[in-house]
Amino acid sequence: MFNIRKKTMLTQVLFLLLALPVVSWAGGGATGFIDAGTFALVIEVGLVLGAIFLGWIVKHKMGITIPKLLQAPILYILAYINFRVILQPPIPFSLLAMYMGVCTLVILCYCTITTESWEAFSGPIASMLRDDHTKAKMSRYATFLILPGLIAAQTYNTMLPKFGEPIELRTVHPAPPASINVHKKLVTLQTAENPFRVGDDGEYLKVGDESKYFGGNSWTGDVPRFLQEVREGGVVFFGTAGCFFCHGDNLDGRGPFSFAFNPIPANFADPGTIAQLQETFVFWRVAKGGPDLSREAFPWASAMPPWEKHLTTNEIWKVIVFEYWHTGFFPRTWG
Amino acid sequence: MFSVNNKKKKIGALILLSMIGMLLLLPFAQMDVSAQGKEEAAAEESAEPAEGEIGSKGKDKQYGGVNEFGIVSGPPAPEMVYPDSYGSYGDYQSRTLLWVSNQQHLYFGSFVLAVPMFVFVMELIGATQKDRKVGKKFDDLAHEMMKISLTAYSVTAILGGILIFTFLALYPGFFGYLASIFKPVMHIYALLFILESGVLYVYYYGWDAMNDGNGNWKWTHLGISCILNAIGIVLMVMANTWIGFMMSPAGVDESGRFLGDIWKVIHTPLMVPIVIHRILGNAAFGGGVVGAYAAFRFLSSKTLEEKAHYDWMSYIAMFMGILNLIPLPFAGYWLMREIYAYRQQMGITLMGGLLAWVFIMQATMIATLFITVNYYLFQAMGRMPGAERYYPAFKFLLAILVISTISWLTPHTLVMTPAELKAMGGQQHPVVGNYGVMSAKNTAINTMITTTVLTFCLYQRANRIITVPWAWKGNCFLILLFAMAWVNILFLGIYGYFIPANVRIGLSVPQVVSTLTTLFVGVAVNTKMLKGSKEVAPIRWGQMSVRGAYALFLLAVAFTWTMAVMGYLRSSVRLHWHVNEIMRDNSPWAFTNPLGYAGNINSMNVLLFWTMLLFVFWLSSLAAKKAPSKVTADAGEAVPAASH
Repeated sequence: MFNIRKKTMLTQVLFLLLALPVVSWAGGGATGFIDAGTFALVIEVGLVLGAIFLGWIVKHKMGITIPKLLQAPILYILAYINFRVILQPPIPFSLLAMYMGVCTLVILCYCTITTESWEAFSGPIASMLRDDHTKAKMSRYATFLILPGLIAAQTYNTMLPKFGEPIELRTVHPAPPASINVHKKLVTLQTAENPFRVGDDGEYLKVGDESKYFGGNSWTGDVPRFLQEVREGGVVFFGTAGCFFCHGDNLDGRGPFSFAFNPIPANFADPGTIAQLQETFVFWRVAKGGPDLSREAFPWASAMPPWEKHLTTNEIWKVIVFEYWHTGFFPRTWG
Repeated sequence: MFSVNNKKKKIGALILLSMIGMLLLLPFAQMDVSAQGKEEAAAEESAEPAEGEIGSKGKDKQYGGVNEFGIVSGPPAPEMVYPDSYGSYGDYQSRTLLWVSNQQHLYFGSFVLAVPMFVFVMELIGATQKDRKVGKKFDDLAHEMMKISLTAYSVTAILGGILIFTFLALYPGFFGYLASIFKPVMHIYALLFILESGVLYVYYYGWDAMNDGNGNWKWTHLGISCILNAIGIVLMVMANTWIGFMMSPAGVDESGRFLGDIWKVIHTPLMVPIVIHRILGNAAFGGGVVGAYAAFRFLSSKTLEEKAHYDWMSYIAMFMGILNLIPLPFAGYWLMREIYAYRQQMGITLMGGLLAWVFIMQATMIATLFITVNYYLFQAMGRMPGAERYYPAFKFLLAILVISTISWLTPHTLVMTPAELKAMGGQQHPVVGNYGVMSAKNTAINTMITTTVLTFCLYQRANRIITVPWAWKGNCFLILLFAMAWVNILFLGIYGYFIPANVRIGLSVPQVVSTLTTLFVGVAVNTKMLKGSKEVAPIRWGQMSVRGAYALFLLAVAFTWTMAVMGYLRSSVRLHWHVNEIMRDNSPWAFTNPLGYAGNINSMNVLLFWTMLLFVFWLSSLAAKKAPSKVTADAGEAVPAASH
């Protein structure tokens, strides 16, 4: 029996689960303790756990069994609401279609997972198709009216001329050339190294070893060599080149000019950008900018200027050191 | 008992074998003579040949150190000019014609090379069974599969001929160059086919004559199977050396001149990972196709006896397929790592650039494979009395799979309209963008595999009650093992976001170790626990739901679609090169296909292959009608736990 005490306790637990995102927002999201992505993820997890818990209460404590044939659309709609409404900022339609495709497959698996569930799922459909009682007949007529109607509507919608922008499969990180010429010097992108990635001993600093300098103050008097290069790179970023106007103070692609562009400038703080690339790739993109994007970089949507015309080779390498240091990411290496 | 009483036949066979052997050695003899000839010619000519001429010293495109230089032994790669160097049939894309004929040959080639591997294992299991009745079941299964393979073998040969004609008719310049490079081994390749055919026919037609259970002739027969598989693998490796050379040429100089050492041409930077990946892929594909055949026969069977036999066969085939599927993603990961190390551009084009979306198609297929395998096992548990206690766990396993799938197939580069891009506030989504990188992908695939292993453990114990005194401890150990594996995989996945890429790549090793530990240790402990267990009731072979049989079809089709997609991907990464950085493709079809077109051609290839294969299955069912006594399975009889 589902007594009052248990009910109160369960409601409290459910409340706590649902309150988790709000608590995390108050304690973290709002104060900047966690970023927007983590915040949204916590909301997702909280809602999913809450939904599972709610389903458990409905079935096991309230004794209400939802028919399998109804469970399928309910799950489908919940998944749709999750991906379309709750997940913010909105994801593109292509991704939504993929996610919903997976959900369709899995919901179908769920409804047919055992013989019992298959019978519970298909039984009403079979009854609607072959039984002679009034309820079945009415369902049959309704189905055979609604189904063609839906197909007709879908066909009409597909055939309707559309004037929206076409979708673009943008190649964000096209393959770089094997080598480039910068200030009359050949740089082989497969093997070149950043000359300003140096340790205290003046030797090349292995990728990963720079983590000891993360969070260090590069403006104090006696700073290690690496932080000196970071500082000079920072001067280029905020001064000489003014990269921050587009890429932002926090290198998150939200500079004051950024919203004039579509797509907005690269967000270096995202794990999907410079963290995935070799330093030489970044060197190529900074030095040559949008005009030198390779053929495969469709639709060449980049407003990046070719900085080789304004900066020295050393300044380009230094600003790259700064970008990695500031974001706390490491360049990709194969060693 | 097998006995050769006809002396003449014996002598004739020996002469034939010797002739084949001598023919195989012919190219080597020719190579020695030509080398000797070269030395003599060099001695006669006092003047050093000019740079780039035959006999001069050439710098290898790939090899360094002591192997850096070789003697120029061939002309440079010809410059391809359209239309002189190409053929065409009207306005139709020559590349597509070659693509289709190549893919069909590869499908059937994979099938006829994979089935003997599968058959060898089945025959070996059959020969080592103490229970002769069970042994015979495995033996019959192996024999039946070999029969299908034999029909497919002739189709493979025909398709091979079509492929060669297509090359000669449409890409004569390119084919001529490759033939000139591989000349020292082409002859061996062709002769190995003859040897393969000979061994195959002896193996197949000698089956009944050599079948004395597990006696000497049976082991001789298994020895022939070993030879057959060895030749098959060598053939496959030799065919792969062509594509290895096209992707990462070695043994030639910058302009494509052969430098005299055929081993360097064969042993290119990508050759080994491609071969390993191909062998595992073939074996998994073979299991999938045999499973589909069994499902086809299961669905078309009229009697319960037949249904029982094919139900059991489909399970065995699926098991073999999955056994090879599990290490496949890791082999693929290694291949990609080698591609990145060989040429950064290639790696980026594949995984982050132009072809990244083809990888999303592949991810979709791999996820489909794992979901389907789990679904099949859920269905298979439906015919195992006592499995009901595990039914509530199914939906949770499915939930883990769907979450992993969503993470696994989230692209790094999203397809969107400019308006959607603006609304999203940048190219990377703050939440799902995190799933577009390798840390998330590795976590997802390892979680999927671990979940599949858990489902299999549940399947193993579905109709059994464990009786060992340490059952409680064993269960605790298994729960701990899987929980720790999941936690480790997830933790390392998240940790991967905070460390350098080279260390992150290294993290895939402990993730894989976690997965493989659940596979080997988990399954071993589970099997040990089942020793002496009480059977709730025998497995009701033949009573699996039809959904399970359709799942096997889906599994096999997903295998073939994955092969088509990945073959297209591997080939396309050369972009406008016939032979990477050496021989440029100057035909009008040197562009990269739109995704839709590639998808359509791949789908057509899959459809064409399955149409032909269903015809082969149908032919085999005709033969079975003539000899119904071949079906020996007993309805409702359980196969011992060892075969699970």
